[in-house]
Amino acid sequence: MVNDDIVLEKASKNFASFVALRSVDLSIQRGQFTLLAGANGAGKSTLLRLAAGVSRPSSGRVLIAGEDPQRNSKARAAIGLLSHHTLLYDDLSAEENLSFFAQLYGLTDGTQRVEKALEEVGLLEHRRRRLRGFSRGMRQRLALARATLHRPAVLLLDEPFTGLDQPACAALSQRLLHVKNQGHTCMMVTHRVGEAATLADRLVVLRRGRICHDQPWQGSSQELVETCAPFLGTTTL
Amino acid sequence: MSFWQRTLAILHKDLMAEWRTKERLSPMAFFSLLVLLVFNFSFELGGAALHEIGPGVLWSSFVFASLLGLSRSFADERENHSLDALLMAPGDRSAIYLGKMLGNLLFLLAVELISLPFFTLFFNLSPGWFLLPLLCVFFLGSACLSAAGTLFAAMSSNMRLRELLLPLLLLPMILPALISCVEATGLVLDNNWGENLYPHLKMLAVYATVFIALSLMLFEYAVEE
Repeated sequence: MVNDDIVLEKASKNFASFVALRSVDLSIQRGQFTLLAGANGAGKSTLLRLAAGVSRPSSGRVLIAGEDPQRNSKARAAIGLLSHHTLLYDDLSAEENLSFFAQLYGLTDGTQRVEKALEEVGLLEHRRRRLRGFSRGMRQRLALARATLHRPAVLLLDEPFTGLDQPACAALSQRLLHVKNQGHTCMMVTHRVGEAATLADRLVVLRRGRICHDQPWQGSSQELVETCAPFLGTTTL
Repeated sequence: MSFWQRTLAILHKDLMAEWRTKERLSPMAFFSLLVLLVFNFSFELGGAALHEIGPGVLWSSFVFASLLGLSRSFADERENHSLDALLMAPGDRSAIYLGKMLGNLLFLLAVELISLPFFTLFFNLSPGWFLLPLLCVFFLGSACLSAAGTLFAAMSSNMRLRELLLPLLLLPMILPALISCVEATGLVLDNNWGENLYPHLKMLAVYATVFIALSLMLFEYAVEE
């Protein structure tokens, strides 16, 4: 428990009469990269939103680095979220977007961090361009820079490969591997499980709001697809 | 980072985006002027009409213009789901409400100041210092509209029928403040404000304060799915 960065204790989430998550117990250790798989409607994104602190559990509790992100606003500073939505502003430039979030997180060395983050994702020369003119791949790289700008202990990834072509997926995987090696605790939701083979060291599968498979993972992309296929009802990457 | 720094960061971001796109201020100003123009031709305004329907016409145009602006106030957050990123940032979430509310207040005040010369022209109103208290009525009335409107805009921002829901939620709620705005504006236009104006200003100040306080407490729950 002490070394667990993400803890869900009997967490349930209902939307009116629909039960999205049913009494889920899950603990993710510090530095672990967990792949969260499941068919559509299994409750993956709901679980991720609970962990991100943007949604409250209907019952049970969620702890991030030992604190409830709903009650302790400082606990939220330990979380970064990279989604298939960029969570950025199209009418601001890349630099303005990152500077705005640096301000919200109260980063004292915001200017230097923004510059370093833009450099790391290869967007330094596009710093003054507005997002509206960015390609999907560039947007996702900037979204990763935003998610990691405040150096969160926990990085949540919700379908980060959506809308990216194969080279962009490979580049993002490389970036995520770099993030993992820096010691971030990561939890990734994706349908493209093959992309996560080199990243994940634990596989959790959800079905109808319950965990139906939870094991450490080490193996190839093909093996991961084959392991997940019975739960997802597909054999595609 | 303090509550006020977060509030100002959000306000600054909204103003910067608006400066570039003019997506809110331009439609609001044009709509307000069009409403005044339509009433001008419909009722042959001027003379006695100034005192009978003038204040009502003026505030109708402001309310409808504000609905246009309010419905866009969370549009940027909706586009790329960036509200999630704002909610995840550390600190009090009600700073998001206050930043947005101050932005809406500034846009509405700008529209009112743009509309006023056209109103005086359409209603044959001779400008003078006696109009000065009108600025106070505009400020308090806009504060009421922005305070309630920003909360309802946040509540309806994730709904499918948000364009319909916002006026349905806001208009009945804003009615007491609107009545005071129209009455107070009428008193100023009659150059008869003296001590009669004070109760209306007090009513508007109390309404705005209560709604801002309530919204600061409720905003976090209002934006949850």
